[in-house]
Amino acid sequence: MDLESIPWMLILPFIIIQLILMLVAIIDLTRVSNTNGPKWLWALIIVLGNLIGPIIYFIVGRRNE
Amino acid sequence: MNNFSVLFQKEWRENLRNFKILWIPLVFLLFGITEPLTNYYLPQILNAVGNMPEGTVFPFPEFTPEQIVMATVSQYQFIGMLVITLGFAGIISRERKNGNATFLYVRPISYASYVYSKFSMMCILVIGSVILGLLANLYYTNVLFGPVDAGAFVGFLGTYIVWLLFVVSVVLFSSAAFSTAIASVVSLALVLFFQFIDALLGAYWTISPWKIPMYAGYVLSGSVDKTPFTWSLIITLLLVVLLIFGAVYFAKRNISKTKI
Amino acid sequence: MKTLLHMQGLTKQYGKEKAVDDLTFSLLKNTSTALIGPNGAGKTTTLSMLAGLLKQTNGTIVFDGEVTEDIRKVIGFLPQYPKFYSWLTALEFTEMAAKLSGVDHKIAKQEAVKTLEFVGLSDVKNKKTGTFSGGMKQRLGLAQAIVHKPALLLLDEPVSALDPIGRREIMNLLKELQETTTILYSTHILNDAEEMTDQLVFLRKGKLVEQGSMQQVREKYANPMYKIYFISTEEAAKFVEISPWPARQEDSIAFIHLEEEKPVMNEVLRVLADSQLSLLKVERATASLEEIFLQVVNKDE
Repeated sequence: MDLESIPWMLILPFIIIQLILMLVAIIDLTRVSNTNGPKWLWALIIVLGNLIGPIIYFIVGRRNE
Repeated sequence: MNNFSVLFQKEWRENLRNFKILWIPLVFLLFGITEPLTNYYLPQILNAVGNMPEGTVFPFPEFTPEQIVMATVSQYQFIGMLVITLGFAGIISRERKNGNATFLYVRPISYASYVYSKFSMMCILVIGSVILGLLANLYYTNVLFGPVDAGAFVGFLGTYIVWLLFVVSVVLFSSAAFSTAIASVVSLALVLFFQFIDALLGAYWTISPWKIPMYAGYVLSGSVDKTPFTWSLIITLLLVVLLIFGAVYFAKRNISKTKI
Repeated sequence: MKTLLHMQGLTKQYGKEKAVDDLTFSLLKNTSTALIGPNGAGKTTTLSMLAGLLKQTNGTIVFDGEVTEDIRKVIGFLPQYPKFYSWLTALEFTEMAAKLSGVDHKIAKQEAVKTLEFVGLSDVKNKKTGTFSGGMKQRLGLAQAIVHKPALLLLDEPVSALDPIGRREIMNLLKELQETTTILYSTHILNDAEEMTDQLVFLRKGKLVEQGSMQQVREKYANPMYKIYFISTEEAAKFVEISPWPARQEDSIAFIHLEEEKPVMNEVLRVLADSQLSLLKVERATASLEEIFLQVVNKDE
C-alpha cells in the first residue's frame, strides 16, 4: 500500500480524535492535584497506551474528589 | 421539581470540569470510526505488515453495512459499557463517602430532584455519546460498505437507547444503594455478566432487557419478531422506572452513611 | 426570652451502645449554646440529628413550638471537616448553597457575594475551592451555613482545627451573628466557649451531665479555695487532721474549699500560726477552666 492510496479523508479524523483524546487526558493530568499512582507513569500510559491509554487514565488514574 | 435546575447545573459543571463531557463522546466516536475502518482495511493492513508469500489470498468475508453497524454495537456493549459502569459507579456513593454531600443533605432538597439531576446528566452524556458515535459509524459504513436503510437505522437507534436507559438506571441505582466499590461490581454484573448469561442460556426465553441490543440488530436488518421485542421493551422501561424510584429511595435512606 | 428549639429525651442508639442518651435541653432565641465534652461524648451525633442527617432512635425535637421531623429549612450546618466540590469556585458554591436553601434565585448571587465578604473571602471568591487552605475552608463552610440567614446555626467544632488567630477571627464572626441567630456549637475546648456563650451543656458518654451559664458553672465548680503549701507531705497531713474546716491534701499542699466566703483568711492564718507547722505559702485560688471541664465531665464516674 503506497502513501497515495491511503484514504486520508477517512483516516485523518480517526487520528485527530485520538490525538485530542490524548491531549485532554494530558491536560487533565497536569491540572489534577493527585492521581492514583505516580503522574509520570500515567503520562506514559496516556501517550503510549494508544486508544486505551487515556480511557484507563480517566477511569482508574483520576482521583475524583 | 424543586431545585432540579440548581442541582443539574452542579452536575453539568462537574462533568464539564472533569472533562467527562469531552472524553466520553470521544471514546464512543473513536470506536464508531474504528470498526468500519479496520474491517475495510484489514486485508490490506495484513498484506502490508505480514510476511505473506506472494499471491496469498485470504478469504475475507464480505460484510453487509448492517453487520458493520452491529459489530460497532458489540464494541460498545463491551468497552462502552465498561466505561459507563466504571466511570459513573461513584456518581452518588462518592459524594456520600468523601462528605461533599453533607452540604446538600442538610438542605431542604428533594431527593427525587437530586437523583433526576444525576440521571439527566448521565443520559445526556451516555446517549449523546452513543448517538454521536453511531452517526459517525453510519457515515463511515456508508462510504466504505454501502448505505443503510434510514428508517431501519432510526428504529435500531431508538431500541438501543432503551438499552442505554436501562444501563444508566442500573448504575444510578447501584450507586445510590451501595458504596462505590460494590456499586461497580453490581452494575458490571447486571450490565455485562447478565448479558453473557443471556447469550449463553437465552435460547430458553425471548423477553429480557439483555436481549434488547440483539433486537436492535434485528430491527436494523428488518427481521425482528414483534411480540417478544415489544414485551422486552415494555419490561425494560418498567425496570428503568423501578430502578429510578429505587435510587431515590436509597439516596434518601443512605444519608446517614454520609461522612460528616 | 422565647424558646426556639427544645429537644426532649433525644436518644440515638447503635446496637446496644447509646451515642446520645435521653438528652433534654432548650435553645433560647438569639442565644448561643456550647455543647462541651470530650471526643466521643455524642456532640456530633446530637448535631447530626438536629440537622436531619441522622434519625433519632427516640425523643422529639420541638422547633418554634411545633414538633418537627425536618428542620432543614431553617438551619445552617457546618460539619467538623467541611468538604467542598473542589471544581466549584467559592462564589459558585455559596450561590448554590443559597439557592438550595430556598433563597430567591434572583438574589442568590448577590447574597453569596455579601456573605463571602462577611467571612473575609472576597478576594478569593472566584478561586476553585480545591485550592483553599484549612482556614479558608472553615470560612467558606461558615459562609454556606449562613448565606440563607437561618434561624438556627449548628456548628460542629467550628474552631478546633484552627490556629489561635483563625480561632479568634471565627469567634468574632460568630459573636456578630449571634445578634440575629441562635447558635449551637460543639467544642472540646472550654476556653473557646468562654467569651460569647450564653449556655453551656456538658456531655459525657451521651448524657447531659451539667448545664448552665458560664457564670453558674464557674460558681458551682470553681468555688474559691485556699491552697496551703507546707514544707512536707507529713506537715500537710497533720494540718488536715487539726483543721476545724473540711480539708483535703495533695502531696504537700492542703486545700480548704470556701463555703459562702467562709472561713476568712485571717482565721485560717490564726489556726496555722497556732499549729506550729512549717508553712511555705498560703493563697486563695479558683479552679481554671481546664480543671472545671475535667471536674464536670468526670463527675460521678
